[in-house]
Amino acid sequence: MKTLPGSGKIILPADESRKQLYYELISGGSGLLLALFMWGHLLLVGSILLGARGFDWIAGILEDYYIAQPTVAVIIFAFLVHAVTASRKIPAQLHERKAMQQLAKGLRDAGRGRPLASHEYSAFKPHLESMLWIWQVRTGMVMLVLGSSHLILLGLDIFTPLFGVTTGIEAVSSLERVQAGLWPLYGLLLLCVEFHASVGLYRLMVKWGIGSRITRPTLRRIERVMFWLLLGLGILTLVVLAGWLSPPLAFLITD
Amino acid sequence: MEHIETTDVLVIGGGLAGERCAIEAVSAGQDVVILSVVPPRRSHSCAAQGGMQAALGNCIKAGGDSPDVHFLDTVRGSDWGADQEVARMFAEEAPIAARELAHMGVPWTRVRPGMNRYFIKGQRVEIDEPAEKAGLIMHRDFGGTAKWRACYAAAGTGHALLYAVDSQVVRLGIDVRDRMEVVALIHEGGRCWGAVARCLRTGRHRAFLARATVIATGGFGRIYGQYTTNATINEGTGASVALDTGIVPLGNMEAIQFHPTVLVPSGILITEGCRGDGGYLLDKNMQRFMVEAEPDKQELASRDVVSRHMMQCMKDGRGVDTPAGQHLWLDLRHLGEKHLTTKLREVWDICRDFVGLNPAKDLIPVRPTQHYSMGGVRVNKDGHAYGMAGLFAAGEAACWDMHGFNRLGGNSLAETIVAGRIVGRSVAKFAAGSSLSVNTALALSCVKDAERRAGDWLGRSGSGPGVYAIRDAIAETMIKRVGIFRDGNELEQAVAELKQSLARVDQAVLRSKVPGMNPELSFALRLKGMARLALVTAMGALARTESRGAHFRRDYPLRDDAGWLNRTLVRWPRDAAEPSFSYEPVGLIDLPPGHRGYGSAERIEMTVPITAYNDRVADGQNAQGRQASDEPIGSRMKWGEH
Amino acid sequence: MASESAQKRRHLRFEIFRYNPEDQESTPQLQSFELDETPYMSLFLALNQIREKQDPSLQFDFACRSAICGSCAMMVNGRPSLACRTLTEDLPELIRLHPLPAFALIGDLSVDTGTWFRAMNERVGAWIHEQQAFDPNAREEPMNDDLAQAIYEGDRCIECGCCVAGCGIANIQPEFYGAAGLNRIARFMMDPRDKREAGDWFEVVSSDEGVFACVGLMACHDICPKELPLLEVHAYLRRRMLVSRIR
Ligand SMILES: Cc1cc2nc3c(=O)[nH]c(=O)nc-3n(C[C@H](O)[C@H](O)[C@H](O)COP(=O)(O)OP(=O)(O)OC[C@H]3O[C@@H](n4cnc5c(N)ncnc54)[C@H](O)[C@@H]3O)c2cc1C
Ligand code: HEM
Ligand code: HEM
Ligand code: SF4
Ligand code: F3S
Ligand code: FES
Repeated sequence: MKTLPGSGKIILPADESRKQLYYELISGGSGLLLALFMWGHLLLVGSILLGARGFDWIAGILEDYYIAQPTVAVIIFAFLVHAVTASRKIPAQLHERKAMQQLAKGLRDAGRGRPLASHEYSAFKPHLESMLWIWQVRTGMVMLVLGSSHLILLGLDIFTPLFGVTTGIEAVSSLERVQAGLWPLYGLLLLCVEFHASVGLYRLMVKWGIGSRITRPTLRRIERVMFWLLLGLGILTLVVLAGWLSPPLAFLITD
Repeated sequence: MEHIETTDVLVIGGGLAGERCAIEAVSAGQDVVILSVVPPRRSHSCAAQGGMQAALGNCIKAGGDSPDVHFLDTVRGSDWGADQEVARMFAEEAPIAARELAHMGVPWTRVRPGMNRYFIKGQRVEIDEPAEKAGLIMHRDFGGTAKWRACYAAAGTGHALLYAVDSQVVRLGIDVRDRMEVVALIHEGGRCWGAVARCLRTGRHRAFLARATVIATGGFGRIYGQYTTNATINEGTGASVALDTGIVPLGNMEAIQFHPTVLVPSGILITEGCRGDGGYLLDKNMQRFMVEAEPDKQELASRDVVSRHMMQCMKDGRGVDTPAGQHLWLDLRHLGEKHLTTKLREVWDICRDFVGLNPAKDLIPVRPTQHYSMGGVRVNKDGHAYGMAGLFAAGEAACWDMHGFNRLGGNSLAETIVAGRIVGRSVAKFAAGSSLSVNTALALSCVKDAERRAGDWLGRSGSGPGVYAIRDAIAETMIKRVGIFRDGNELEQAVAELKQSLARVDQAVLRSKVPGMNPELSFALRLKGMARLALVTAMGALARTESRGAHFRRDYPLRDDAGWLNRTLVRWPRDAAEPSFSYEPVGLIDLPPGHRGYGSAERIEMTVPITAYNDRVADGQNAQGRQASDEPIGSRMKWGEH
Repeated sequence: MASESAQKRRHLRFEIFRYNPEDQESTPQLQSFELDETPYMSLFLALNQIREKQDPSLQFDFACRSAICGSCAMMVNGRPSLACRTLTEDLPELIRLHPLPAFALIGDLSVDTGTWFRAMNERVGAWIHEQQAFDPNAREEPMNDDLAQAIYEGDRCIECGCCVAGCGIANIQPEFYGAAGLNRIARFMMDPRDKREAGDWFEVVSSDEGVFACVGLMACHDICPKELPLLEVHAYLRRRMLVSRIR
């Protein structure tokens, strides 16, 4: 406990403040880890574009060299930790969420429908980031449900021969799962994860002032490009997994 | 007793003067309550842009500066209307005040060692600032000064000062009540015991009893309606509650300053720092008319002189015509974007936001507009009001009288801090040496009176005039007839019109009777005071048949040191229909009246020797109710040491 | 100058939030007003016209009317803005005005920002914590002008409350210092005259009322009428807090 001279107001004890710093580091760090993982994930799953053989080849390498198993454990852990630490910021009360949403909507729409300012500067550039945060929360919620189901399935698959032929990741079981009717859920999860991760990374950069030489509009542009690029690649992968398109790059891997 | 609170010192006004004074009193162990109509950081002091005069002499162009030179500039600027002893005290304490502010955290602009580029009288000049002065407080040029002397924080000096001073108020835990408007003083037998305030949240009244009361309510520019640079809250309630006592005189109310460069059409000030930093004034033919008019000081003559030249220039048909009236141009383009967005940043923002201009590329439309009231509650050199023990005043609300008939730019911020220090000390001393011996019945009856006045307004009905219409009528009269150029006929007309407006206040009817603060009622309660201030200003101007500083009479264009080397005092005795005027000597004279160095050199010389004049000062002022000061009159004079 | 806007005169419609807590008959509602636009009309002029010509009971706050005192912040079509510096020509014909959220309502468009800011300034200790008393006879301490300018930049906040009202977190967590509070902290942190050290600051800044309450909504930065670089300030504080724990 410490009092400041003059006002005599009481400030939080130091260990409480330290806790806040650690929470912040953990939620941001786990988010970052997950986001980076998702790039690798995309490459892994994207290998289906090379055909089932390509997919199995990569999966095989990851498993044979014991990259996959610890990663899976770490990611599951990070996923849980991130979910817990990040959601401490989600407003608990309905009326609080409503207030935030109303505010964010107002800020998003403020600039719309106005006549062009007669001078260059206008205080009415629309502001989107508040709304983006709300969507981050929403997509996070969706991921909590769909992502954990996905992880449970995957976990079972990797360590047990529940699906497919062998233990571990293999194209057959993946194709089986997706085609068994899980594709809409995967589609939704994909959309959520790409949105959440790109906005999350953008926010992380701004929050810590990383790359402060790059201006915010530039960061926003990078965020958008990343989002569409990764989403596109993910959709293509999903389409192949769902069996609507034969692997377009399969010709690369021939005997 | 829920209507009454007590404290040691009551400070009315949370601007620079009030807060600095409160800090001094609290440091001396007194309990202080500050009342303010707005949160203190929103006081109009925050709007001051250009700088604060203090003779630190840090940069090359300030070399050789000293409080003596500052004193001379101030007295010349005042057109010899100032109290020279007060000007002396002020000039000596201003450097301490500026350094104290640095200590409190003001981010003063500092001296950059090495080659610096300046614009001086239209020339680009390079000056090598020596390394040993590196990082000391920098100065900029201002009108009417012999040296660069204005200390500044970009073009947000007042803001930086007010935030630093208020941070000390927060630190000391001083009790500040915002949205509390003083509507009357509590006094009895020539002793002031505090004030009645009306809460602007609830509309309820409350008495604050104190051993010493300080009026620091700022200027009253709003009697000029929209034709002023002042905030909407500068309605002169402080001066008018003093006038209402019937005992306390207001000094030099006719001394009204017009600032040369005010943005058209918004009426927002563009600081003198622009001209100090090398900006020009241009007429519609892009001619620098100030170079012809004042070859020596050019754009940097004192404000009264520049404003008159500008008005004349427009009268001569050299102004730019627009639907919003005539204006001239202020040219800052040559200063460059870098300078404009750093040292004059606030000016840049104002131009962009209010008229969509880019000062690096565009000319700025300006014309002179009401800006400052040199007059106010007349006090002695301790800040103690004439005729009323326990009542003090400081800052723009006071007529301490270092400004006489024209205030120099940057001297007002300096005054608020210096007066805050000096008056604060004497307030604390006065409060410590007296006890609160007042009947609470007096306080309650004052609250009752105030409630009755509000009740009268609410009770009145019928088809009388609206309060805003009366305000507008007063403003039109003031700007048209009590402006930069005055003459007898116009002023007589003005007095007649203002008397009519004053009479109409009593017939006015409110259109809204809602409970609570009721904005219309809040304004109505100030209206009579404003009408009275306007009237005493016009009557004072009519009576003064000479031209001095900002008071310029076409029919008496010369300064008359034989007849008018004096200060106007006005009282409004209780229940009297008209105010009564009297005059006192300006104070002890050290620097004999002479040519200011700009403006007209012609004048009517004094007929009595200075020594004879000085001999009369004490008696002349005592007769007007001057309180005895801690140090006897004249003890601060430095006879001739300049 | 006035050319373009003088030609197209518009008819403006205002929808203004009304509620007078002192009046028992008053209930929160929106009231409509109409007004003809004039060149360079600011909301200061518009609101005063409405009050003087149409409804004299309308409450709102203005003082400087030049964007420096911070009195007049309100929600203009959903966005916190300084009304005195908002020109109607930059707005659509329908203008909705609400009082700032996150602050106590005084009446209609008037809110109590003063009390909030005083409390915030007390809590963060927003004054120079020097070691030596002022010496009237000493020359001022020199300071590099670039540093002085950087401090001035942070000092420019006018306590209008826009950043607080526009921040979702500040709206639901009244203890949060808000962007203005964090900016105030950073201003004193970079001032060498303030002798508080990393450890003194840590407790103030790192708490969940401080910088880690902020989730990076960025509204504060986009809204601040004085265009303070608030996000850079937040990032600076985060990094300082991190470094002060690592060391
Ligand atoms: C636009 C502008 C720019 C300026 N620039 C400069 C400059 O560059 N340099 C310079 O030296 N000077 C400048 N000045 C002048 C200078 O700013 C003022 O003279 C000075 O700040 C006045 O300070 P003050 O403390 O006396 O009053 P203010 O700062 O006006 O404070 C008055 C206080 O009194 C309170 N108050 C008023 N009436 C009542 C009441 N009835 N009851 C309770 N409280 C009340 C108000 O709320 C406020 O807190 C400028 C002035 C203006 C208008
Ligand atoms: C389990 C489901 C998830 C939930 C409930 C969730 C929730 C959240 C929330 C509420 C935030 C904002 C926190 C804050 O601003 O302090 C956030 C931030 C973030 N999330 Fe998630 N998230 C989830 C999964 C993920 C995943 C899978 C990724 C990676 C792809 C991820 C990446 C990020 C990143 C990078 C941030 C930014 C961190 C920051 O701003 O400090 N999140 N998450
Ligand atoms: C623990 C590590 C993970 C592994 C080993 C893994 C593995 C896989 C595999 C093999 C597929 C193919 C489909 C299937 O087999 O069902 C897949 C698809 C997918 N996974 Fe994961 N996953 C992991 C974590 C995650 C996480 C944390 C998320 C997001 C919250 C996620 C989101 C997706 C999505 C959206 C798809 C659809 C494919 C696409 O179009 O890209 N995965 N994953
Ligand atoms: S930081 Fe900006 S928005 Fe916030 S109070 Fe200060 S000036 Fe207003
Ligand atoms: S809007 Fe609020 S959450 Fe942070 S970035 Fe600004 S303070
Ligand atoms: S009235 Fe002062 S900021 Fe708008």
